[in-house]
Amino acid sequence: MPSLTVDGRSIEVPAGTTIWEAARRLGVEIPVLCHDPRLEPVGVCRLCLVDVGEKKLTASCVRVAEEGMEVRTSSERLAACRQGLIELLLSDYPARPADRYKTAPDLLVSQARDLGIRWPSPAGGFPAGDGRGIDASSKVILVDHQACILCDRCVRGCDDVQVNEVIGRTGKGYATRIAFDLDQPMGQSTCVSCGECEKVCPTGALSLVRPERGAPDAVASADTDWEVL
Amino acid sequence: MTTGKLLRELRKRGVKVRRQGERLLLRDLHGALTPELRDAIEVHRERLLGAVEEAEGAGVKPVDSVCPYCGVGCAIRYSVDEREGRILHADGRPSPVNEERLCVKGRFGFDYAGHPERLAVPLIRKPSSYPKGPLSAEVRGDRRRKPGGLVDYAEVLPHFREATWDEALDVAAGRLAAIRDGHGPGALAGFGSAKCSNEEAYLFQKLVRAGFGTNNVDHCTRLCHASSVAALLETIGSGAVTNVFADVKNADVALIAGSNTTANHPVAATFMKQARKLGSTKLIVVEPRRIEMADHADCFLQIRPGTDVALYNAWMHVLIEERLIDEAYIAERTEGFEDLRRVVGRYPPEVAAGICGVEAARIREAARMFGQAERAMIFWGMGISQHSHGTDNARCLISLALLTGNIGREGTGLHPLRGQNNVQGASDAGLIPMVFPDYQAVSDPTARAKFEEAWGTELDGTPGLTVVEIMGGALQGSIRGMYMMGENPFLSDPNSNKVRKALANLEFLVVQDIFLTETAEFADVILPATSFFEKVGTYTNTDRRVQLGRRVLEPPGEARLDWKITCELSTRMGYPMAYGSPAEIFAEFTALAPSYAGLTYQNLGLTGKLWPCPDPTGDGVQVLFGDRFPTPSGRGRLVPAEFAPAAELPDAQYPFVLNTGRLLEHWHTGTMTRRTRALQELRPGPQVDLHPEDLTRLGLRDGQLVEVASRRGAIVLPAASSDRMLPGSAFISFHFREAAANLLTIDALDPDGKIPEFKFCAVRISPAE
Ligand code: SF4
Ligand code: SF4
Ligand code: FES
Repeated sequence: MPSLTVDGRSIEVPAGTTIWEAARRLGVEIPVLCHDPRLEPVGVCRLCLVDVGEKKLTASCVRVAEEGMEVRTSSERLAACRQGLIELLLSDYPARPADRYKTAPDLLVSQARDLGIRWPSPAGGFPAGDGRGIDASSKVILVDHQACILCDRCVRGCDDVQVNEVIGRTGKGYATRIAFDLDQPMGQSTCVSCGECEKVCPTGALSLVRPERGAPDAVASADTDWEVL
Repeated sequence: MTTGKLLRELRKRGVKVRRQGERLLLRDLHGALTPELRDAIEVHRERLLGAVEEAEGAGVKPVDSVCPYCGVGCAIRYSVDEREGRILHADGRPSPVNEERLCVKGRFGFDYAGHPERLAVPLIRKPSSYPKGPLSAEVRGDRRRKPGGLVDYAEVLPHFREATWDEALDVAAGRLAAIRDGHGPGALAGFGSAKCSNEEAYLFQKLVRAGFGTNNVDHCTRLCHASSVAALLETIGSGAVTNVFADVKNADVALIAGSNTTANHPVAATFMKQARKLGSTKLIVVEPRRIEMADHADCFLQIRPGTDVALYNAWMHVLIEERLIDEAYIAERTEGFEDLRRVVGRYPPEVAAGICGVEAARIREAARMFGQAERAMIFWGMGISQHSHGTDNARCLISLALLTGNIGREGTGLHPLRGQNNVQGASDAGLIPMVFPDYQAVSDPTARAKFEEAWGTELDGTPGLTVVEIMGGALQGSIRGMYMMGENPFLSDPNSNKVRKALANLEFLVVQDIFLTETAEFADVILPATSFFEKVGTYTNTDRRVQLGRRVLEPPGEARLDWKITCELSTRMGYPMAYGSPAEIFAEFTALAPSYAGLTYQNLGLTGKLWPCPDPTGDGVQVLFGDRFPTPSGRGRLVPAEFAPAAELPDAQYPFVLNTGRLLEHWHTGTMTRRTRALQELRPGPQVDLHPEDLTRLGLRDGQLVEVASRRGAIVLPAASSDRMLPGSAFISFHFREAAANLLTIDALDPDGKIPEFKFCAVRISPAE
């Protein structure tokens, strides 16, 4: 049972507990994007960085708590890192998820707000590409690849929680996307429409199809109907 | 203009406003934005951002309830738009049952409650619509059913007139009472429903027993696990599961027999698949179809339909031969071993192989995998129970567990996966002809005396008739009047042509439901009831977990709460019933049902409790029968079974074996799911699954319309090629009235469970002209 301190408060946790989990037991919520307590952590987004006195900051969702560790969850350096990470993710985040229906708020946008990031950036970010497109083939879930941050949450939700093993990844570099089966459109894949992927998706990449908000085939045109102020 | 006023004005004009980050987005499809409004938006921009966001969240109320569909009983939080009285979305809640997971039905299958076809006023059949019979051409059978069709309201409704509640209740109560008084209580019968709550089920059977004066009360449990329950009661003295499904993670091996789990208990299936993937549980799947679960299996046996007894006898043969049995457990906890040994001695794997169509070596391999497990669980579904020898099938599985000492510890147990959300509870509440609540036999004078005292009236001591027997009685004229609460036997019972005649033959039929069902076409009086979402009640899931369903929506029109309707009818029939709330009914029920002792509306909380629950502050008992069974001797009985073929075997004229069942996206007779946008779009129509070789042999194409005919009826539907089928067999789901599978099925019954053989009959397949 290693004992450690988080922001000066000490706690003893069972061996193998992550720093993130230990902090949570103390009531300290370290911000996350790619982590969800129901899923095995993968540590890809780095938003949960903490300072354990090492040269490098470490991802608390995957790093296991060690005896005598002194963890700091906030500092100027950490804030700057988190801000940078979010700004990068938002730089080509599409505006169109405005008309999307999520069962939980868009975590990326709300994290940005918590960190005081104005988005879209007044200076304008990268030219927002739209190379990754929309998949409106499913009757229940709308896939907006452009809003996907490749956090892997839907992959784990589908493969490890529901064990439907439909979602994986495809492509390289900027063109990397989530893919259904062997890159089928979602509606033609072996997806069983359980909705787990939408539930765990922290962005507008996966959202619910709701007829009153525009049927799936109307989605593409509906996006252009919105006027951005 | 204030920001709020501006927002209201925009909404009034149909202009949608949303916030995305610091952006304000406007959608003005009708060109309703005036230059003045645009200016105002500019001025109020910053404040509008906040106001828009607030308005989106306002009026959305979360309600914690459970899923209305299957026996898994997932805990759900519904987000409800209070202003519009509409469910916005459903989400899984943290609960030991589903750990926030849902399947497609739970997640998307809620909009039927707001369907415009909901019944909202009581209806009485017009005098011109007698003599009674089916009202729609489809139900009459003289027109091919329209694809995608549910009951055609335009065709059926004109035969009824609207009535006040008082009139409808008086007619219903008066006519039922007249039959009771003129022909004796035995001329009446009632079908309750496993969709209704424990409270509704309890009151319903109380009305039939105390008000009608007969035990002719049953429900769809007869069509699903009656044989399993018969076998369980006979062998281990209790019909419920001995362990919860989520404990599969602690099992070394799980046998999944005759259960298309990913379709019918999808969230339970996720626990099984997960136990194998992330844990160390091995899965053995036995099924005539190579179902999805087989893709996750360590061992899959694709047996010929209806040969389960031979297979499991061979397993037991191997276990005994190779001493993979728990001798201490057999000696201390069971009886009847010698008889069993003698019978299974006649089933070496080589003999079973010829019957089941699986190689002897594979039978041995599977038996060893099961026998070598330190902890094994057995799950089963309708593939075991819905046979004319369903009780024998279940006996074999129970013997397997007893022989290997796999009951009463963590990671072990028997788990018949219960179908309906409340089939466990409805049975517990006494919606079965042979027993009062909590399985207290009507023929037992002590039990009868207890209920006579509690209900203040004399009760009948002869067990009543079961579902199919009641339909038979209606056909012969011995059953004259019926009260039907939420059941649709026309589509759910075997041999629909016979059911049609039976229903038409009834002198008087009251149907209480939320939509016009096929069965309602035969009604004299139709009472509009409330849907799951509009009431409060408790539901008992497959794990024995009693959970509270909370009110999410308001009922439409004059629709009334089911328990209130039952009370009104009863009172008008001379047996007064009055309760203040469902909690009061639950209290009366639990006082009479020892298994439910200790449970109250106050202590069920958000995740419910398992029965039995001796410590009201705890979660209830998860693993049952650690030291003794509730049988007279305290031991579990090993009851041997001999293999017997199905009632109707394929022959030259009808060469295919028809199997029926359900699909992931639909529910039973489709009254709910076919009125749900997402589910209906995902699965719009019926099909018959056939092996590609059979298609080729018959010269058929995938998707071609075919006629499937049995000795009882014929339907037309598209053929679908599926290499998951065994050659020589066909599968049709029973959800679709336009190709009602139960026109084909046989009403042969299991002698103990009285369950019909839905899983096996002979059919012929030919191209439809
Ligand atoms: S909805 Fe489909 S893709 Fe998403 S988790 Fe479920 S099965 Fe996987
Ligand atoms: S598994 Fe059963 S209870 Fe759970 S969501 Fe699906 S239908 Fe509902
Ligand atoms: S939340 Fe820890 S790396 Fe993403």
